[in-house]
Amino acid sequence: MTHPHRAQAVPHPAPPPPHRPHAIVPPYLLARVAATDHPAFARAAEAAQRTLRGRAPRTRLTLSVEGDTLVAEATPAPDRTISDAQNSTRLPGVVVRREDDPPVADQAVNEAFDGLGATFDLFEQAYDRNSIDGGGLPLHATVHYGREYDNAFWDGARMVFGDGDGEVFTGFTRSITVIGHELAHGVTEHTAGLVYRGQSGALNESVSDVFGALTEQHALGQTADEASWLIGAEIFTDAVEGEALRSMKAPGTAYDDDVLGKDPQPAHMRDFVVTQEDNGGVHINSGIPNRAFHLAATTLGGFAWERAGLIWYRALTSPDLPPTADFAAFAAVTRAAAAGEYGEESEEAAAVRAAWIEVGVQEDDGSGTDGR
Amino acid sequence: MVAVTRTGGIAGRRREWRVEPPASDVPHWVALIEDCPWDATPTDPAPGADRFVWRIRARCETPTETVERDAELPEPQVEGPWQTLIDEVRGASGPSTA
Repeated sequence: MTHPHRAQAVPHPAPPPPHRPHAIVPPYLLARVAATDHPAFARAAEAAQRTLRGRAPRTRLTLSVEGDTLVAEATPAPDRTISDAQNSTRLPGVVVRREDDPPVADQAVNEAFDGLGATFDLFEQAYDRNSIDGGGLPLHATVHYGREYDNAFWDGARMVFGDGDGEVFTGFTRSITVIGHELAHGVTEHTAGLVYRGQSGALNESVSDVFGALTEQHALGQTADEASWLIGAEIFTDAVEGEALRSMKAPGTAYDDDVLGKDPQPAHMRDFVVTQEDNGGVHINSGIPNRAFHLAATTLGGFAWERAGLIWYRALTSPDLPPTADFAAFAAVTRAAAAGEYGEESEEAAAVRAAWIEVGVQEDDGSGTDGR
Repeated sequence: MVAVTRTGGIAGRRREWRVEPPASDVPHWVALIEDCPWDATPTDPAPGADRFVWRIRARCETPTETVERDAELPEPQVEGPWQTLIDEVRGASGPSTA
């Protein structure tokens, strides 16, 4: 018998129980499955044929044994290509690792490959989203961009990572939250399309921090209370007085360093920074919605990608979220998403509402429940 | 005076480099400034996210005129004479300030 393709969002990926042998199918077995004409294996055969053809979207075929029955499950799989800019600023660079290739000697390549895989897994397993576009879009990344390049970015088609200057920043692929952050920019571009300026730009940044943090938590199996809620905790050199680029738990406290200065992020609307720089402070004011997410997630507890993450994902993909949304508009859509997913009187709806009030984006309208 | 400010990037870090050239170097700097297409700067942000944003401000006095310019550039637009001017400022400046 076969399991059908999963069509519904799965709140969190349950690891296979130890008594169920589980393996990625080797090519020779894939060929056997693809060749079968037994009606009970029609879906598995189709998935195996697609996988063998190598066409996107790729499929991961997993076999397990339940009692006397062979169970085949076909799930979306990433299609990653990593290129090396060889310290130039020319993109895409030279391809150095494709999806079916083994690890290479260059650690930055493997870190990018693995980080993209972890981010793909979060979106696929927690939100049933197949890659950036929901349709199995191949994932492209370039490492070793530029010389002493202190940045990682999404250029609209690929994720690009610099090696850092060695004095303040090390290589940007070292951080799974940074890799998740960049891939999430692609998801935002294919969904809400939040305009990258002012409050909508800060929301764009915040959404990337949220799913960057969730990528790490999902990969490590961390609950909201166990997580660091830090973005880029691995990319400072030892010379820097700081623990990360940003703290979602306590915006404005991530670093205080002679060279870097002090973390400028506000944690509340009363401290909103008005500036023309950085596209209107998109990396500064993102601290406010970041903290709102942290508050909602830690109030609910458990795995943050399940309830709080699902609510934020529903908001991001909601037709009611305009590209120019400000913080208040986004807050309203997350509250509607929470109510739609869990009910108006649910603890999830109450947690989201309280979070936005706590950071000053919304005022207490008296609709909450005592103790929530 | 020529000041170059870089903001944005995933770190959101602000850096500034500034040069105050002596009078003897002013013609060189005026030439660098005048090579840049100040009136053709793009108004839209670069596609994607986490790119740097550059702002270049220049004010140089010659015996006959005062040259003042100001432009903001998304990272992909920093090439040719813009790249040359930025590189010269960074090379002539001391360590950047936050």
